[in-house]
Amino acid sequence: MKVLFVCSGGMSSAIVVDTLKKEAQKHGLDLEVKAIGSSEVELEIGGGWDCCMVAPQIRHRFDQIKKQADEAGVPCGQIPPQAYSPLGGKALYKAFTELVNK
Amino acid sequence: MSKFVQFLEEKVSNPMARFAEQRHLLAIRDGVVSSLPFIIVGSFFLIIAFPPFPEDWAISQWAAAHAAEILIPYRMTMFIMSLYVAFGIGYNLANSYKVDPLSGGQIAVAALLLTITPSVVEELGFVMPMQYLGGQGLFVTIIVSIISVEIFRICKQKNITIKLPPQVPASVGRSFEALIPVAIVILLMTLITVVLNINLHELVTKMTAPLVTAGDSLFGVLVPVFLITFFWSFGIHGVSVVGSVARPLWEMYLTANAEAVASGAETLPHVAPEPLYQWFIWIGGSGTTIGLVIAMLIFARSKSMKNLSKAVVVPGIFNINEPVIFGLPIVLNPIFIIPFVITPLVLATIAYTATSIGLVTPTYIKAPWTLPAPIGAYLATGGDWRAVVLVIVNVIISTLIYTPFFRIYDKKMLALEQQEEE
Repeated sequence: MKVLFVCSGGMSSAIVVDTLKKEAQKHGLDLEVKAIGSSEVELEIGGGWDCCMVAPQIRHRFDQIKKQADEAGVPCGQIPPQAYSPLGGKALYKAFTELVNK
Repeated sequence: MSKFVQFLEEKVSNPMARFAEQRHLLAIRDGVVSSLPFIIVGSFFLIIAFPPFPEDWAISQWAAAHAAEILIPYRMTMFIMSLYVAFGIGYNLANSYKVDPLSGGQIAVAALLLTITPSVVEELGFVMPMQYLGGQGLFVTIIVSIISVEIFRICKQKNITIKLPPQVPASVGRSFEALIPVAIVILLMTLITVVLNINLHELVTKMTAPLVTAGDSLFGVLVPVFLITFFWSFGIHGVSVVGSVARPLWEMYLTANAEAVASGAETLPHVAPEPLYQWFIWIGGSGTTIGLVIAMLIFARSKSMKNLSKAVVVPGIFNINEPVIFGLPIVLNPIFIIPFVITPLVLATIAYTATSIGLVTPTYIKAPWTLPAPIGAYLATGGDWRAVVLVIVNVIISTLIYTPFFRIYDKKMLALEQQEEE
């Protein structure tokens, strides 16, 4: 499955990319995860993603990103603050599964 | 307490963050940010032209003899940054209205160029003063880019365009559609600059002078520093909100300092370009969390804090601190919000004072923000070793402020862990 992470500049979400991948592997799931900045959403969103997860620190931009994701038909949700850390794997995976199984 | 926090979040922080997402502010932000690669690369030619080595070294003598040639790439990038910014703002604003972004960028560039009167110089032909295309012209750039794209999109939305039959290729049709708005914008700018003979740059410089002075004062530094950690305390990306508004001013200071260096001035005009914040205040990320990370590494006794400290140290060195902010967490955590807000204010006062009394060279070079702070500070000041000392002093102070707060929290976590074991 392909997951798109969005944060301010694509830097901090790159750190949690591996966290989600590792947690997914424990559940026997191979994920392709890419971290981008919020200004790249428009270009990237049409790239065949299964879901789009938005970092908590840019939640004031969430509505706008969700609109773009909705237009592209990609499920889009927020990453809970406590999941947005290298040790937040479980919570992050939970948020991911809830988003794709909606 | 929790009611007060809720009030701050709902009534102050969230509305302000949403305000920064306003269409025109967003276009300005993205337009300025799009010029950053040119500013970063261009500014490095200043280091090559004025290398941080003793004057009698061969490389310093070579650079001094060729400074004008070495600076040409700088002159064509950072020195005329407003030209790049105009295109960026025009492109992004047009894009946000879903009208042709390429035309938007071009119209904004035309509007900016038409604020300048070229003169004829013998042997050279037409010459135009480049300084208006630099940081000095940034406010004018913002104003004319927005006005010209507004004209463009209103024409488009009200159908004031020349429509060609659908058989005509799209690219040809597009250029015809822009014909009327382009004519309006060019006539308007010609009216202002040529017919009425108004120099918009001088006018706007006079009008914005108080703002430019205020943003470069100690108070003008402390306000954005406070607001940024205020936003982060609720988990909102502070720099991306505050920077939307403040970055044009910061870029103006940076380019003015760079221009002073390039023209061989002894003293630099501004204390507070963005690199001052980046390397002396936001060390390890907003809130100077590098001190917190160091305190964690030294003093953590609880298992969870020991684990977390290992995970956050490497991102912290490269000024990425979301893992600490959300992992610890700092967000909505009364113990950590106090040092998180106070530390940068203290360090800003120290860095501002040290720079303004001449202990450290003001910053004039833009280095990528993910560099470790001592390296970034050294580059940003054109190779001033005293800047590295200032970074180290600030890291130590930050560690001292964070340590007692961290130990309180760590004790709490340790007690929780022991309870769970029993």
